[in-house]
Amino acid sequence: MSEPIPTTDERGELHGFVAEFDDVTSVTRAARAVRDAGYQKFDVYSPFPIHGIERAMGLRSTHLPWIVLVCGVSGLGLALLLQYWTNAVDYPFKISGKPLFGIPANIPITFEVTVLLSAFAAFFGMFVLNKLPEHHHALFEHPRFRRATDDGFFLAIEAGDTRFDSKRTRELLQSLTQHPVVACHAARGGDHAPSWIRVGGIAVALIALLPLAAAVAARTGDTTKPAFHIVNDMDSQARFRAQVANPVFADGRAMRPDPAGTVAFDGLIEDPVVLTGKRGDAWTTTMPVAVDARVLARGRERFGIYCAPCHGGAGYGDGLVANRAKDLQEPNWVPPASLHDTLVRGRALGQLFDTVRNGVRTMPAYGRQMSVEDSWAVVAYVRALQRSQNGTPADVPEAKQAELGAR
Amino acid sequence: MTSTSTALETLGPRGARWSQLALGVGVLGAALAAFLGSQFHDGFARFQHAWLLACVFWLTLSLGALFFVVLQHLVRAGWSVVVRRVAELVAANVVVAAVLIAPLVVWAAMGHGSLWSWADPESLRASPLLQGKAAWLDGRFFAIRCVVYFGIWIGLSRWLLRHSVEQDSAPDAKPTLALELRAAPAMVVYALSVNFAAFDLLMSLSPTWYSTIFGVYVFAGSVMSFFAAAVLIVSFLQGRGLLARAVTVEHYHDLGKFLFAFVFFWGYIAFSQFMLIWYADLPEETEWFHVRLAGSWKLVSAVLLFGHFILPFAGLLSRHVKRRVGFLSLWAVWLLVMHAVDLAWIVLPPASHGHGAESHAGGAIGLVDVACLVAVGGVWTFALVRSAANRSLVPVGDPRLPESLAFENL
Amino acid sequence: MGSAHGPISVGSAGTQSRGEVWTRPVLVDGDQSLGAVTRRVCDVVEAPKPPRAWYIAITISASLTLMLFGMVVYLIATGVGVWGNTNPVFWGWDIVNFVFWVGIAHAGTLISAILFLLRQKWRTSVNRAAEAMTLFAVCCAGMYPAIHVGRIWVAYWLFPLPNQMQMWPNFRSPLLWDVFAVSTYATVSLLFWYMGLVPDLATLRDRAVTPLRRRLYGFFALGWRGSARHWQRFERAYLILAALATPLVLSVHSVVSFDFAVSQVPGWHTTIFPPYFVAGAIFSGFAMVVTIMVPARELFGLRDLVTMKHLENMNKVILATGSMVGLAYATEFFIAWYGGNAFERFTFLNRALGPYAWAYWIMIFCNVVAPQFFWSKSIRTNPWLMVGVCILVNVGMWFERFVIVVTSLSRDYLPSAWGYFKPTPIDICTFIGTLGLFFTLFLLFCRYLPMVAIAEVKTVLPDAHAHDEHGHAGGAAHGRSPEVQHV
Repeated sequence: MSEPIPTTDERGELHGFVAEFDDVTSVTRAARAVRDAGYQKFDVYSPFPIHGIERAMGLRSTHLPWIVLVCGVSGLGLALLLQYWTNAVDYPFKISGKPLFGIPANIPITFEVTVLLSAFAAFFGMFVLNKLPEHHHALFEHPRFRRATDDGFFLAIEAGDTRFDSKRTRELLQSLTQHPVVACHAARGGDHAPSWIRVGGIAVALIALLPLAAAVAARTGDTTKPAFHIVNDMDSQARFRAQVANPVFADGRAMRPDPAGTVAFDGLIEDPVVLTGKRGDAWTTTMPVAVDARVLARGRERFGIYCAPCHGGAGYGDGLVANRAKDLQEPNWVPPASLHDTLVRGRALGQLFDTVRNGVRTMPAYGRQMSVEDSWAVVAYVRALQRSQNGTPADVPEAKQAELGAR
Repeated sequence: MTSTSTALETLGPRGARWSQLALGVGVLGAALAAFLGSQFHDGFARFQHAWLLACVFWLTLSLGALFFVVLQHLVRAGWSVVVRRVAELVAANVVVAAVLIAPLVVWAAMGHGSLWSWADPESLRASPLLQGKAAWLDGRFFAIRCVVYFGIWIGLSRWLLRHSVEQDSAPDAKPTLALELRAAPAMVVYALSVNFAAFDLLMSLSPTWYSTIFGVYVFAGSVMSFFAAAVLIVSFLQGRGLLARAVTVEHYHDLGKFLFAFVFFWGYIAFSQFMLIWYADLPEETEWFHVRLAGSWKLVSAVLLFGHFILPFAGLLSRHVKRRVGFLSLWAVWLLVMHAVDLAWIVLPPASHGHGAESHAGGAIGLVDVACLVAVGGVWTFALVRSAANRSLVPVGDPRLPESLAFENL
Repeated sequence: MGSAHGPISVGSAGTQSRGEVWTRPVLVDGDQSLGAVTRRVCDVVEAPKPPRAWYIAITISASLTLMLFGMVVYLIATGVGVWGNTNPVFWGWDIVNFVFWVGIAHAGTLISAILFLLRQKWRTSVNRAAEAMTLFAVCCAGMYPAIHVGRIWVAYWLFPLPNQMQMWPNFRSPLLWDVFAVSTYATVSLLFWYMGLVPDLATLRDRAVTPLRRRLYGFFALGWRGSARHWQRFERAYLILAALATPLVLSVHSVVSFDFAVSQVPGWHTTIFPPYFVAGAIFSGFAMVVTIMVPARELFGLRDLVTMKHLENMNKVILATGSMVGLAYATEFFIAWYGGNAFERFTFLNRALGPYAWAYWIMIFCNVVAPQFFWSKSIRTNPWLMVGVCILVNVGMWFERFVIVVTSLSRDYLPSAWGYFKPTPIDICTFIGTLGLFFTLFLLFCRYLPMVAIAEVKTVLPDAHAHDEHGHAGGAAHGRSPEVQHV
């Protein structure tokens, strides 16, 4: 029983001696005894983590938290960098008035990536530090070792320990348990995977590179062929071209006539002066439409909606948009004209109308938003506004002049 | 043996000294605060804000403690028994905040809008928006609600303390059973009262503003501040030889974990509130943050972001910090200060922006606020020490005490 | 205070406390030996044939899963027009079901992570099944956003992959946060679940009698041999994953709530959404765990491991989170009035009194009223009554999402755009199909993997702790252990 065992024999290299225990108490006591005997390379095997065993064995705490911390911090930095570079540098695109890189909107993804990388570190770090997977191990040769995942406890002292002595070590273990101490051997060549697994693994790895290679080839090469689409999507849609026949309709034409009662845009106004503001080649200086209080009120309302944001309520070019642009010192901003400049006041009514309809310089065209009538109403209101801001006491009707004096 | 062990766990004659000292500090602070408050020449409007801040700060410690105690009974916790008496005493001290806040409530109920601007019927009439909620923002109704809130808190905390003390000398576990049985409904009442009290006492300082998460925000800060205070009180008592054998590093570790958890929870709630309002960008909501991100308040906001969340989060992450009482106490002090800053950030901006006076001397947070905090704190501490004087500082009869004494973290 | 013995020295030898001392009950009924736990769990997997009810159940659920595949193929081939989503309700059952399933997915991680940090040892009996349920629910949830994008073949645009258009996704959009949150959550839940499974797979490997089982379980057991050094890192990794998963679980449903809350739609934009969604998610997740654990423990004879105490605790959590949800409803309603915003006021009145009032009151009844039955101990300890309540809760939580999504969209700012949403049969069949997928995966899990975490349950058994002269090494001094000494 106690004669020395050679470290290598026909069963392979000696891994160590294994003692079996039936409960936590005895294995903990044994671990303490082995630790006190000065062994380093020994391990306890149990079906569940034993509370306090690391103290009994004299284990140091693991470095895992530091690995997790490093990965978590890298995740944080990478996520911020990714979001900054993609959304603010490489593809800047303003959406819903949000800054290109505003921290509040970038926090959720930063958080998620931090957690993801930390979790990877904890999971893979644990298995790497434990040197798992390791499907083959000398201890599995032990006839009763499968109890270690059920209700048995084992303590193995490895042959690699400096204090290992095949006689004394075995005696020490035998003194701690009533089960027979067993020597376990690492099977020869057991640390290599079968060759078909290795060949298969390499093949799979190479095949996995093919899509990547194809993508690289596509990105670097030139071709005149159209792009290859697996799903045609909306690239080519079934449709009829203009001026072709279509048997579906009774008249055999693909182009459909306008439904009855369709009115062309601006169709009913026939007076070219009303439509263009021009009498012949010259701008009209008289209103081509009738002006009354209702028209002026309408003009004032439209002015408030379309003009005042830039030109200001009184037309001095100090609307909210203009002021904001001024505050922000927007470099490309052209300040809106004051409607009370001599130049603007001198403009013919027709030219004002044209400006409203078609825009001028950076001012956009409002022809699509406003009807012709409304545009003339705005022109009438602008003229009234100019009168109001540049009037003299003489302009006030006599009946009201007394009131003016009273002020 | 009898006399020594009892003496070890009660304050004894030292309590009288401490309470006198605290009262003295409190009275001095109050005098200073009153003097500073008079210097604003605004009918003590600024002083009222500072006073509210101070009362709410000490109130939230009690509310956090109340939550802790009810929670321990609700989940039948074992580890916390040795620190629960301290929490019970802090919770029962809510009566101090009730007394000191009462003049402000009465003043508002009398129709003065110098603190809660809606309390002035004129300002209510002037705003169509406020007229819509005039039924709620009514001085007398407000006062009634305050009585209900404080009634709930005082009643609940006294009930918890009474049964717990009863258990000290009871032959069986009946008092504890009663507490555990009723902890669940108590928690429901607590949640409702704190939620709406936060709306009434703090959110209505900016009467047009609203945020559904606001109650949770105040709650998160309150519980955090309690855990910070608990660490400090326990380590103070241990430094004077009390609780020495009852509280171990394991209990500090758990208090530290909760402190850390609530730092994080506060950050989560604060971020949710800010981000949602920032993102939707509705003027009636952004107004509240707009004020707090302008002028000297901008700096305070940055201090909160770093001081109330990022730094303590990083600092308390490590298990080693939580297990070293010195480090943990430093963070506890820091977080209590931050909690005060957080409340100041809620309470004070309307003082400078809501009443015409564009800015006041001393920037965002002034000496008068500190003086008020000291004044209320002195009275609060006085009452706490007095109520603790003749009681065991450990629930010696608690049936889970052995479990708590033997408690060990994994 | 006047005792003859120093009350504080209870723990030291020889003294005694007056009055009662409470100890923690053992969490497992019946035979409490280590081997018995292994046997009871492994017998389910190793039995030559599962119970007949298993065959019936999987036949039904697998047929429903086939129907789901049919619906998805039809949807992809035809377009999202086959669903009821249309102007103004562009988010219909797809988003309702997505949020519903993501919510259910929260219980698993809550049990495995948060309850772990809170040292709630009763979790050991139910965490494995709850985590598995989480993964299956995430599968059902993740499917919806993927198929509702329309052109599913370009769904990879959701990810920041370099492409020939030189475009990047908009990271400021909550919908992209969702992509990251849900995929992170699925990944971390999978890692957490698999890591806990490794020692139990080793148990199955070591008990296997056929080479196929030994190889299959052995391959996934990664050669686990229960080394103390391995356990040490394993426990540390478990703790770290729990600490990471705890804020993660908060963040996922918060991000889902951001999908709604960052908008300006009345009834969606409210700041309490993040914590309120999280509470609701836990609420529905626990209800689903109870709904499936009660039949499972009956069917597979696990009543000794998943005891009434476990179920009762889960019911208490349901009651607590249900109350939080109720409080959030009340707060929302109050602030809708208090805020003075006419649109908000209208939205909430419309929910309670408008065309979808039926859905609203189903939600209120199932989510706020039904869990109140759990105040009664006899209801929360009766298996079939608790399943009834939990099913109601699941119905209620489905309707909560329906009410949020549909009522707000159908009554937007513009009265001219108002409409009424009706699901199509395809909508309904797709949802029923996801239920089939969920139960199919769960039934397969019950049959082929250990339904209870064997190694973790062993740590709460009396035999898990040393009884020796040093005391401190074992559990005698450990607060939560069942071995607190009567001193």
